[in-house]
Amino acid sequence: MHNADIRVLLVDDEEIIRDCITAYLEDEGFIVQSAASAEEALETIAAIRPAVCISDLRLTGMNGERFIVKAHSLCPATVYLLHTGTLYSLSDELREIGMTADDVLLKPIHDLSKLVNKIKQSAAAGRTV
Amino acid sequence: MSAKSAEIFFKSESRYRTLVENSCDIIFSLDTEGNFTFVSHAWKTVLGHDRGDAVGHNFRKFIHPEDIPRYETSIMTALQTNSAQEVTYRIHHADGSWRWHTSRGTPHVDENGVLTVIGMAYDVTERLRIEEIMTQTEKMIMISGMAAGMAHEINNPLGAILQHAQNIERRVSTGIPANLKAAAEVGVDLDLVRAYLQKRGIFDFIGHIRTAGMRASVIISNMLYFSRRSESGAEYIDLSALLDRVLELAGTDYHLKKKYDFRRIDLQRDYAADLPLVPLVVAELEQVLLNIIHNAAQAMAGAAMRREPRITLRTRLSEGMVLIEIEDNGPGMDEATRLRIFEPFFSTKEVGVSTGLGLSVAYAIVTKGHRGAIEVQSRPGEGSCFTVKLPLQGKA
Repeated sequence: MHNADIRVLLVDDEEIIRDCITAYLEDEGFIVQSAASAEEALETIAAIRPAVCISDLRLTGMNGERFIVKAHSLCPATVYLLHTGTLYSLSDELREIGMTADDVLLKPIHDLSKLVNKIKQSAAAGRTV
Repeated sequence: MSAKSAEIFFKSESRYRTLVENSCDIIFSLDTEGNFTFVSHAWKTVLGHDRGDAVGHNFRKFIHPEDIPRYETSIMTALQTNSAQEVTYRIHHADGSWRWHTSRGTPHVDENGVLTVIGMAYDVTERLRIEEIMTQTEKMIMISGMAAGMAHEINNPLGAILQHAQNIERRVSTGIPANLKAAAEVGVDLDLVRAYLQKRGIFDFIGHIRTAGMRASVIISNMLYFSRRSESGAEYIDLSALLDRVLELAGTDYHLKKKYDFRRIDLQRDYAADLPLVPLVVAELEQVLLNIIHNAAQAMAGAAMRREPRITLRTRLSEGMVLIEIEDNGPGMDEATRLRIFEPFFSTKEVGVSTGLGLSVAYAIVTKGHRGAIEVQSRPGEGSCFTVKLPLQGKA
């Protein structure tokens, strides 16, 4: 799968974080869209049908945990990654939809090439589901 | 004196003697030079010294050197203001330890017209220990909460610094078609731009931004230890084997090697033979113990040691807890340092050598992660002893 075939949805309430990750992923050729809140993301996710969705945990409004559960019901084929600045262990609900500790990314990601690898792996795995 | 009044006198005398000699607290009198003129029987039961060691001897012989000025001031004030004065100080016990005592003394002119100070002293060591633990816990809860909140707030800006530095590096690279296209549009040769950036050291600057950002990030991720609740992922572990491995790790520690040859330290192992397996998170406890050993080695390296440097690792069972003691014979620390040693960012080392997070992370791992306790005792000039207490019933 080419990167250009992989759609990524990024949810973070901080614009600067959306900007720097989007810039990197776009340079890698991914199709990247972003949302500033869970509510905004839920409006568009069904239309975007991203292969991978990366969501912040602490969002204003609905938090990342609840967002992923809802988004999963709309787009079950999408692979969800949680991006967080706090030590976090997955809730039972997130485990039920197949998330593992590997799907939790600790902020700040020092080297975005690692995120790229993770997205590629996730997209490949998602396709086989 | 009539026989009757003599009898009354002796009865009264005997009653007071009984009161004084059976008191659990030490009753004493001092002359104006600070020499004991009397100590009650409790002197022996509380401190283990013979009464004869005290009477005729100066209080300075028994009181901790750091506390002598305070004690002197209290006696002077009592005498000058003719009032009762209270003072808390460390006093020598016959077993070699220092005990905390509080005494109240009042000036008194005896039947011969001689001015003395009479007083009562009692042991407050245990009360102070409990107070210290409570203050420590409250302080750590406050500081930890602050550190964790700060860590969370700093992660996003730090992410932007690290990741945009990476974006800058990539957007001047020739490997990305969009870069070549934009360069062509504005009419510059990207190779020449790169040559310029190279010549002016800009790539190095960007590299330094990333290195510095990563360093900050490591500090922040250490601070995150404070925000966590209880530990999951604990396993039942053979503590003796873990301690051996930690000593091995300490011997190969690069940072330690730079400053200090760990092989020069005499390592004593005094492990309890009957230890059950202990529930703990191996990597975390290794971090705790390495940190303490690292500090001990550094302290001994920095001090002019007149004796062979020694670290003793001891384990024992006590009241359902397993105790790990790490004792060194280094320079020790004063009371002010000891009370702050587990605070985040508290460091006695020069700036750049230490972030001052090591022992506070150890504190968080032991108390929060393992629901244990960590304490330190120290005698300046003699050494320090850290005690890590872990519960035997864990969540593993």
